[in-house]
Amino acid sequence: MADRRRINGPPAGTRPPVYASLKESKTGVSERTLRQRQPTELRKFYLKTGMIPTASGSSYLEFAPSAALAAARSNPKSLIPPSSALKVACTVHGPKPLPRSVPFSPNLLLTTHVKFAPFAARKRKGHVRDTTERDLGVHLETALRGAIIAERWPKSGLDITLTIVEAEDDRWWGDAPDSHDASWGMLNVLAGCITAASAAIADAHIDCLDLVSGGVAALVSDDASTAPRLVLDVDPAEHRSIQSACVVAYMPARDEITELWLKGDSSRAALEKSDGRTGHEALIDGAVDAARGANTILTDAVRESIARSFAQV
Amino acid sequence: MNSLPSIAIPGQRLGSTATYFAGPGTHVHQNAVYASIAGPVVTDAAPPQTRSRPTLRVSRVTDTKHPSPSAATATTYKSKPRYNTLPAVDSIVLARVTRVQKRQATVSILVVLDESTSQPLDQSGAISDKEYMASLLTSAANPENHSNSDDLRFQALIRKEDVRAVEKDHVVMDEMFRVGDIVRGSVISLGDQSFYYITTARNDLGVFMARSEAGNMMFPVTWKEMRDPITGISESRKVARPF
Amino acid sequence: MASSATTGNPMPPSLSMPPSQFARLQPHAYLRAHLSPPSSDQPSVRANGRATSQFRVTSVNTGSLTHANGSAVVRIGDTTAVCGVRAELLHTSDISSWGVSQAPSKQNPTNTNEAKDSKSEDEDDQGQIQDLNLLVPNLSLSTGCAPGLTPGAPPSALAQSLSHQILSLLHTTNLVRADDLRIWYQPPNFDSEEFHNPGEGMEVDTEQSGGPEREIKAFWVLYIDIMILSMAGNAFDAAWASVLAALRDTKLPNAWWDDDNETILCSDDFAEAHRLTLRGLPIASSFCCFEGDAAAGWRANVIPDAEEQKKKKGSQQKWILADPDGYEEGLTQERACVVVDKENGKTIIVKMEKHGGWNVDSDDLRKLVDVSSQRWDDLKQALEQC
Repeated sequence: MADRRRINGPPAGTRPPVYASLKESKTGVSERTLRQRQPTELRKFYLKTGMIPTASGSSYLEFAPSAALAAARSNPKSLIPPSSALKVACTVHGPKPLPRSVPFSPNLLLTTHVKFAPFAARKRKGHVRDTTERDLGVHLETALRGAIIAERWPKSGLDITLTIVEAEDDRWWGDAPDSHDASWGMLNVLAGCITAASAAIADAHIDCLDLVSGGVAALVSDDASTAPRLVLDVDPAEHRSIQSACVVAYMPARDEITELWLKGDSSRAALEKSDGRTGHEALIDGAVDAARGANTILTDAVRESIARSFAQV
Repeated sequence: MNSLPSIAIPGQRLGSTATYFAGPGTHVHQNAVYASIAGPVVTDAAPPQTRSRPTLRVSRVTDTKHPSPSAATATTYKSKPRYNTLPAVDSIVLARVTRVQKRQATVSILVVLDESTSQPLDQSGAISDKEYMASLLTSAANPENHSNSDDLRFQALIRKEDVRAVEKDHVVMDEMFRVGDIVRGSVISLGDQSFYYITTARNDLGVFMARSEAGNMMFPVTWKEMRDPITGISESRKVARPF
Repeated sequence: MASSATTGNPMPPSLSMPPSQFARLQPHAYLRAHLSPPSSDQPSVRANGRATSQFRVTSVNTGSLTHANGSAVVRIGDTTAVCGVRAELLHTSDISSWGVSQAPSKQNPTNTNEAKDSKSEDEDDQGQIQDLNLLVPNLSLSTGCAPGLTPGAPPSALAQSLSHQILSLLHTTNLVRADDLRIWYQPPNFDSEEFHNPGEGMEVDTEQSGGPEREIKAFWVLYIDIMILSMAGNAFDAAWASVLAALRDTKLPNAWWDDDNETILCSDDFAEAHRLTLRGLPIASSFCCFEGDAAAGWRANVIPDAEEQKKKKGSQQKWILADPDGYEEGLTQERACVVVDKENGKTIIVKMEKHGGWNVDSDDLRKLVDVSSQRWDDLKQALEQC
């Protein structure tokens, strides 16, 4: 059923290009670049607030490209990008009046929308929000609702919109689609969304208990013989297989987790003998550590935006 | 007592509840005052005779050029002024009349005045107002500034009995307000899910900007009459006392 | 209090309140007060500090998106548009009417190589791109870019109209050559020796080999998606500039028909990829017309005094504002959009559109073309710098 409100392509549909190097023997395919970072070393990211003046609050977050991606950009050889780097724009509108259909609320009502740009991932996305996007929206709302002091804004609403300009990979592009199960990239996207939204909410001067940041940890196995090890801020394109991963939304000032999402089998983690934690405990601790790391950048961005508005006066 | 930071960010611990009261922009958690918004930290000393604790708050305004706290807040505007003031009971609001009925008038709130914006303008105020303007102009893409975007503004009702303090029984709504008039009102209740209730039953409240039927700006003549300077025709309104 | 008020002259409300409040309560009067110069020999200055024909600072950045064949971010003041071009394949076997419509390419198979700029080829181009929907632009405002636009809702009327304006401008300017989008196949000539491999199929000269005629096996379809991330007026200019910059940045992989797999295969080799060869550089400039007396239009009909009306019309003040910001767009009805290109220093009007009022006359439009041609120089520089 063609959407009459959009411009549709050829009625028969189109096919994404197939690269000959994938069809033929694997010899021509470049190998995946394995993780160069230390297991506890996080990727750098750029975060800035107030870039969209039409909103009451806004932010833009961009992950630094991986070494492989940076190399591919400066000296392009293949048209197939080796990995992906998250880019998210967030706007906050409100507090504004609730629509007439909504009953009286003594609290601020939060609405979150997450939308991928059609060109955000390797596979073209549709314009209509799909289930992944809705799912991300719900997770994000849970993460933020725990941080906002909603009773300070009676009978008003807050719209938080995130546009994913570039998403994260779920796996290395050369791997067959069914070799790992889950959409691991989603966890990175959610973590980025949480951090970006928190910055935008602070930019909009909405009362919060704390700045809330997102962090991801994963159990990865790069060869089949060893037990999976714990890494923080995983880039799925850099690993052969991800066994389990976890994203948290974390408020460091109160040591509180507002959102937790754990996927996969975390039972076979390779932890030190002295470590009495189970796999999932280690995973959650790792994600919290990653969120703490993200919080330092978040704090700097919010401080900078306040300093900037001072300078303007 | 540890010193206060000049700028706070949400979640930052500012001080103990034993030394301070928690003011706007802060919250209390485990006997400590924490910031809940990002901004400059302001200490309001308690009135000397009460011997009470000073109040800590995080200001939403961004001017600190004036060291004395009263001057700093009186002449400045918020850096993000668009939504951040919700109408509260006793707020003075400026609103546009959108509908006049027999028993009530519906208005759409354009500006919520707080103590800072209702102060007369002085030199420094003009400077910071420029910044406010800059944000208003860029933001204006913003259907907010279109006259037909009332969905984005808070709505309020002026009931017949809240129009004026005297001769309440003789109020004819058509002679008090016209659609398009700009009214200064005071919020009396948060009302129901869709409307605030506001009153104009004070000398300084009522219509303060209106166009005549001919389309010209009118000036106030008496407390119930405004005049078109070009046609000379008077129209009746509940007029706010001009400053 | 009554006595003090009756004494007289109506005090302009602007003196009793800060300008920001005045701007919000009486936006029209506020903008008019700004535009009216204090003395007649001074130029008008807008509320945003710009001269009437001045555009906002424009920046262009291309190629920053990883998963697009071409991409661009264009900022015009506070309006931001991101455009990504994605190429996918349309096999001619999937086109139901292909057997019928392929006629022109069969009739003159050599034509495309010899006379690229011939008129017949131009028409052929336009027909194929348009009939087969090879260019698919869609603009999205559902990004939270302005408070009134609900995210998650279907495209608003504004978004739909902007998408269609971009589509029709792509078609009328013939910006993209159909030949860049075609994937040719030369069936092997079994009479002569088999000297070419499938990858070279499109370079083979058909006349010399004399074998079966070469045919189009597939087309590239360009999905051109524009996200307006920040909306502060004049979305069209920003969107069009981003489309133009992204198309200039677009690289299509080398593709060929693989007879064994019966499909199109592409090479991921960066060196083999080709850029689009665009026709010209059409650049859009939008304007709005601010009327000094907002009520003049309808009042002219109400007052039957012809003499006065005439006088009024003469004194009717109007300002044509280039690159309106959101505040100005909200206060004006009449819009004009001029798309110009330049060839050997000569300005060519590609499109001219005006609607919403009758204040802008032909003299004004002539001036707007001059302004647009100046704008062309500025934007060309911005596009070439990135």
